[in-house]
Amino acid sequence: MTEKPNNISSREVYHDGVVKRLVQFAILWAVLGMAVGVYIAAELIWPGLDFGQYWLSFGRIRPLHTNGIIFGFGVSALMATAFYSVQRTSNVPLFAPRLAWITCYGWQVVVLFGGLSLLAGWTSTKEYAELEWPFDIAITILWVCFAIVFFGTIANRRIKAIYVSNWFYGGLIIVIAMLHIVNNLALPVSYNKSYSLYAGAQDAIVQWWYGHNAVGFLLTGGFLGMLYYFLPKQANQPIWSYRLSVVSFWAFTYTYIWAGPHHLHYNSIPEWVQSLGMVMSLILLAPSWATMINGIMTVSKAWEKLTVDPAMKFIVLALAFYGLATFEGPMMAIRSVNIVSHFTDWTIGHVHSGALGWNAMITYGTFYFMVPRMMGRPLYSVKLANIHFWLALAGTMLYILAMWGAGVSQGLLWLSIDEIGELNYSFTDIMASMVPYYGLRLVGGLIFLAGTVLMAYNLLRTMYGLHTVTVSPPEVIDEVKGTAYNPNAVMGGPIAGEAGQQAPAAG
Amino acid sequence: MLLAVLHTPGKVFREISAGNSQVIGAVQRLTFLLLLLPPVFIWVGSTLFGWRLGAAEPLYFDNTTRIIVSFLYLDALIFGYVTTVFIARWMAVTYGASSASTESLFAFFTVVCAPLSIATVAHLYPSIFFNVLVLIPSIIWSINLLYRGLPVVMNIPPERGMLMSSSLVGWLLVAFVSLLGLTMGLWANGLGPNLGV
Repeated sequence: MTEKPNNISSREVYHDGVVKRLVQFAILWAVLGMAVGVYIAAELIWPGLDFGQYWLSFGRIRPLHTNGIIFGFGVSALMATAFYSVQRTSNVPLFAPRLAWITCYGWQVVVLFGGLSLLAGWTSTKEYAELEWPFDIAITILWVCFAIVFFGTIANRRIKAIYVSNWFYGGLIIVIAMLHIVNNLALPVSYNKSYSLYAGAQDAIVQWWYGHNAVGFLLTGGFLGMLYYFLPKQANQPIWSYRLSVVSFWAFTYTYIWAGPHHLHYNSIPEWVQSLGMVMSLILLAPSWATMINGIMTVSKAWEKLTVDPAMKFIVLALAFYGLATFEGPMMAIRSVNIVSHFTDWTIGHVHSGALGWNAMITYGTFYFMVPRMMGRPLYSVKLANIHFWLALAGTMLYILAMWGAGVSQGLLWLSIDEIGELNYSFTDIMASMVPYYGLRLVGGLIFLAGTVLMAYNLLRTMYGLHTVTVSPPEVIDEVKGTAYNPNAVMGGPIAGEAGQQAPAAG
Repeated sequence: MLLAVLHTPGKVFREISAGNSQVIGAVQRLTFLLLLLPPVFIWVGSTLFGWRLGAAEPLYFDNTTRIIVSFLYLDALIFGYVTTVFIARWMAVTYGASSASTESLFAFFTVVCAPLSIATVAHLYPSIFFNVLVLIPSIIWSINLLYRGLPVVMNIPPERGMLMSSSLVGWLLVAFVSLLGLTMGLWANGLGPNLGV
C-alpha cells in the first residue's frame, strides 16, 4: 500500500493508494488503446500494415482497441474515481480495502490477457462483449468485488444522504452486472469457444440491449458520476440543482434501458420494437440535457471565484461535447435519418465525439484535478496541460469533421440509384474514395494521442517519487448512528489534505 | 473593412467593445456579403463541376434544384447567424456579460465567421473532401477568434469568456449536426438526390 505509514495506523485514513494505482493503469491503457486505434486507422488506408499476420489484422485489433479503451482506460478510471469520491461523500474509508486492491490488479490482469486472447482470435463475435467465457466469468467475479467495496463503503457511511454521484456509480455497477451476465450466457464447447444461448433476431436484440446500455450506463452514467463529484469540487460550488440531478438520474435510468433497438433499424426485428427504441431514444434527450444544464449552471454560478485551470477547461469542454453527443445520438435514432447514416462512418464519428470529447476529456479534467491533490504537490507543468487541452480539442474536431464528411458521402453513395433502380456505385469504389477522409482521421487521432502522451508524462512526473498524502474523514456528527465522530481522537493533530465534500479544495 | 477583420481582428473587437458606431456599421454591411458568398459559390461550383462525392462521376442537378439548394443554404446561414446572436445574448446574462448591445453582438459574430465565409471559396469546386480540407483550418481560425474576442466584446474576464465560448461551441456543434440530420431526413423523404430508400 502506498499511504504514508507516519505513525497514524490507529487513525482512520482514506485509501488513496489504490486510487493512485488505478489512475496509473488508466493512463497506461489510454496510451496503449489509443495507439492501437491510430494503428487500425492507418490500416484502413494501408491494409498491408497487417504484414500478413492474422494477429495484426483489422478484425482482431479493432476489438483490442475498443476493449482496451472501454475496459482498460474507462473502467480503471471509473473505479479510481468511484473509490476516491465514495470515501469523501460518505466520510468513511473504503470498505474492505484489500478487496479493492484485488479488484484493481485482477481487473488489469483480465484486460491484459483478454486483449491477448483477442489477438489470438478468441472471440464471441459480440461487439464490446468479444471476450470468451473464461474472461466473462473472471469479469463477473471482479465486478462483484467492485460492488462489495463500493456498496460496503456506502453501507458504512456517516452521512445520511447518498450523494448523487454515488447513485450514478451504483447504477453503473448494478446495470453493467445485469447486462454482462445476461448477454454473455453461452454454452462453452471448449476452453476458448462458446455459443450464445440466444439465436437469430433474439440474439441481436439481447446484444444491442447490452451494447447500447454499456454505452449508457458505463460510458454515460458512470462518467456522469465522475462529473457530479468533480465538477462541483472544481467549481467550489454545490451542484446548481440537486433535485434536478436526482430526477435526471431516475429519468435517465428508466429511459436508457429501452433504447437499444435503434441499433437494429430496418433489420429483421419487429417494427414496433424499432419504433419503441426510436421514441425512447428521443425522450432520452431530456434527462441527458438536464444534466448538461445542471453542470453549466453550476460552473456559471461560480464565476466570481473561478480560476480557470486545465482541469476546469477540460471539464467544461467535455460538457459541450456531452451536449453534442447526447443530441446527435437521439437524432441518429430517428428512422428516416438512420436509413442514411446507418453503416456509415458518421456512426464512428458520433461514437468518438462521445469517447474523445466526453469520456476522455472529463477523465483528463478529473485526473488533472485529482492527482495533484492526492500527491500534495502542484501539477508538474500547467503549460503542458494547456497544450494538451488544445491538442485534445483539435484532434477531436478533426476526427469528427472527417467522419461527418465521410459519413455523408457514404450515405449518399450507398443508396444512390440510376433510372432503372440499379445501384450507381460499387462497395469497393465507395471504400476507395474514403481514403482521404481516413487520412484526416488518422491525423486527428495522432494529435489526440500526442496530447494523451503529454498528459501521461505530466501526471507521472507529478506522482514521481511520492506517496499519496494522508487524508482522514473530517470531524462530523455521524448522521447515520447519531453519534459524534472525531478521527483525531486517538492521535490528535491536524490532518493533511482536504476534508470532505464541502471543504475548499487543497493542493 | 474586410481586410481589417481578417488582418487585425483584435483591433476590430476593441472598437466594437468601445461601441464605435462607425466600425459596427461597417461590419454590419459586410455581413450581407459574407452571408451571400457561400450560396453563390456553391451555385457556381455545382453548375460548373457538379457535386463530387468521391466515387465515379460527379452528380449534376438541374438549375432549379441548384437554385433551391443555394436558397436553402442562405436560409440556414441567416437562421444560424441570427439564432447564435440571440443565444449569445441569452447566455450573456448567465455569464455576467449583459452589457454588450445586440448590434455589437451581430458585428462580433460577423468578425468571427469571416474566415469561414471567405474559405467557402472552396465551394467553387464542390468536392466534399476538398471542402473539408479547406474548411477545417478556417473553422479552427473562427473558433480561435471566438475564444479571443468574446471576453473583449463582452467586457468580461478571460476565464468567464472561455466558459461562455465553450458553451457557444457546444451550441454551434449541435446546430451543425442538426443541419446534417435535417438534410438526411430530407433526402430520405425524396428531396435532393435520387436515393433507393
